[in-house]
Amino acid sequence: MKKIVSRLTAALTSAVILASCGTTTVTTGGQASPDNTTGGSTTPLKIEVIAKGFTQQFWTAVKNGSQQAADEYNVEMNFTGPANETAIQEQANMLANAINKDPDAIALASLDTVSQVDLLNQAKQKGIPIIGFDSGVPDAPEGSVLATAATDNKAAAKIAGEKIFEAVQSKIAAASAENPVRVAVLSQEVNSQSISERTEGFIESITEKSKALANVGDAIAVVGNDKYNTGDASKAVVIIQVQVPADATDSNVQSSALALLNMENLVGVFSSNETASKGLLNANESLGGVLGSAEDKIVAAGFDSGTLQKEAVKNGTFIGSVTQDPITIGYSAVELAVKVARGEAVSDFAVPAAWYNAENIDSAEIAPLLYD
Amino acid sequence: MNKIKNNKLRKIVSSQQFIAGLALVVLYLFFYSMSVPFRSFSTLTSIFDAAYYLGFLAIGVTFVIATGGIDLSLGTGMITSAIIGGLLYQNYGLPVWISMIVTLLVGLLLGFTNGFLVAKLKIAPFIATLGTQMLMLGLGSIVSKIQTVNFPLRSSEQGYYKSLFRTNSNFPTGIFLLLGLAFIFYLVLNKSKTGRYILAIGSNEEATRLSGINTVKRKWVAYIISGFFVGLAGIAYSATYTSITPGLGTGIETNAIAGAIIGGTSMAGGIASIPGTIIGVFIMVILQTGLPFIGLQPHYQTFITGLVIIAAVYIDVFKQGKE
Repeated sequence: MKKIVSRLTAALTSAVILASCGTTTVTTGGQASPDNTTGGSTTPLKIEVIAKGFTQQFWTAVKNGSQQAADEYNVEMNFTGPANETAIQEQANMLANAINKDPDAIALASLDTVSQVDLLNQAKQKGIPIIGFDSGVPDAPEGSVLATAATDNKAAAKIAGEKIFEAVQSKIAAASAENPVRVAVLSQEVNSQSISERTEGFIESITEKSKALANVGDAIAVVGNDKYNTGDASKAVVIIQVQVPADATDSNVQSSALALLNMENLVGVFSSNETASKGLLNANESLGGVLGSAEDKIVAAGFDSGTLQKEAVKNGTFIGSVTQDPITIGYSAVELAVKVARGEAVSDFAVPAAWYNAENIDSAEIAPLLYD
Repeated sequence: MNKIKNNKLRKIVSSQQFIAGLALVVLYLFFYSMSVPFRSFSTLTSIFDAAYYLGFLAIGVTFVIATGGIDLSLGTGMITSAIIGGLLYQNYGLPVWISMIVTLLVGLLLGFTNGFLVAKLKIAPFIATLGTQMLMLGLGSIVSKIQTVNFPLRSSEQGYYKSLFRTNSNFPTGIFLLLGLAFIFYLVLNKSKTGRYILAIGSNEEATRLSGINTVKRKWVAYIISGFFVGLAGIAYSATYTSITPGLGTGIETNAIAGAIIGGTSMAGGIASIPGTIIGVFIMVILQTGLPFIGLQPHYQTFITGLVIIAAVYIDVFKQGKE
């Protein structure tokens, strides 16, 4: 009996190890089959696509977009990605493998440029052009990454800033230094480029819009985080609160959101990703519902989607949210890769984000961009 | 007579539970005086929200630490048991009570495995549970295909399970669950044969074995208890936070272990207290909830939490050195 148990354990362990060794690799595209000759060329282009992971349905949608472009342009595409968005080493290995395959081009959603500099140089020497996607590749060696297809996070957050401003404009216009209003952004952290850009974009749009009001002018202060703090809060008419949790665990984000929702004079909140939105909604629930568009409620908008956030948009807890367009990100990454492989000139493509609210959430344009 | 009474009183006053309890009261009063909204009932329910899963994990790991062991698989085990339970609801449409039972079973199975590795195969607990921590982390991503898993929303037909911890009118039912189970397992640790043997193993495993006690079995039971609470924590987590993202969970175990140690459980084994653990957990959670209320930025919050942990445990060390 003992032997059976230990053998069984050994067998199970090795099975699990084996099963987990299979990387999430999806090879698609025509295997250079002769009947797959749309687009005039007989040999399909070989393009390696390296994503940041398959976390959330976001990456599934990116893959669908890439597949669409691969089919249209007769590309033999290999779409890979590490297990999650912290697996920097794993992604570096994938990039090395991709370079060794000598493809016509590589599309890379880099997790960490610094650790990939040598590889990017190597690709450049071998003459393999690289296209960045999902986020920029800021420290890439000159001439290795030729163009990038990514959401303009700053512009995307500005959409939310404008919508929130519209909703609370009358309250801001009625504010004074003695009776200031507070508009807040709840951000999961301050280090990643994408979330920092969203935080900045939101601050900028509220600042610009508020400045134009006669009672505000320059009396604006940003408080709550050393990275963004400016101005004098004691004299400000509009206080922009940057609220960041101690870490990104659900309970910490909820605590941070709860403290935020309890702040005096708060009129609007933007939660800059799915985790922040979830924390804001959990805190709102424990307060018995302080968010909404009624006169005595706090106006809120989010970013990305997810079950809780979609429900909040549908039932009016959020006035709406901003979503990225993962399908277009995936599509344009492959499209740009095809163009560089053919030697055409390429330039960065800022993939526009979209605003969704209770009215358009189920529409044909928005629904495919959202996930649970 | 009077002297005995005095000694007893001195013993209570100098115990780590008493010191931790005092620290808890002082912390709560500090935040209470610093922030008006902190005093509200909704803040208290939020403190409880964060305390449920952490409290369960900490009660369970107290048994393991009592044996002189450690369980690093708590956090990822909790997330993955909730993921597996949640998939049954989300992908197979099974009722949510089945999800919860399966969540509990996955936790139990993890505890059983940890116990097998440590007690039976004699693998060092740190390494064995580091291994299962990673196994669970990977398993959660494998079964979910790295997609977020959603439990039913409160507004949905299956949303009733959320009332186990917080009713629709925001009443924190979960606190009775947490304290009730804490009381039961206080009895198990301090009044049952199993509990006493577990503590004996922590004090001196060899002597315990030589006195004819089946140390393998008792140690195994300690890990199974920990696994049971991992499953309960999985249920509490999903009821509180609804959506579970794979790839998370590492780091949560350190908070649970810290809670137990602050409450007077000794890392070396042999000394453990469930009431102390609950107090330790509330110290962690009140810090986490209170610090944002006094407007501290995240980096200061982390810094101060570190200070409080060191101070809370140092008082105990200092006191023991004096004795």
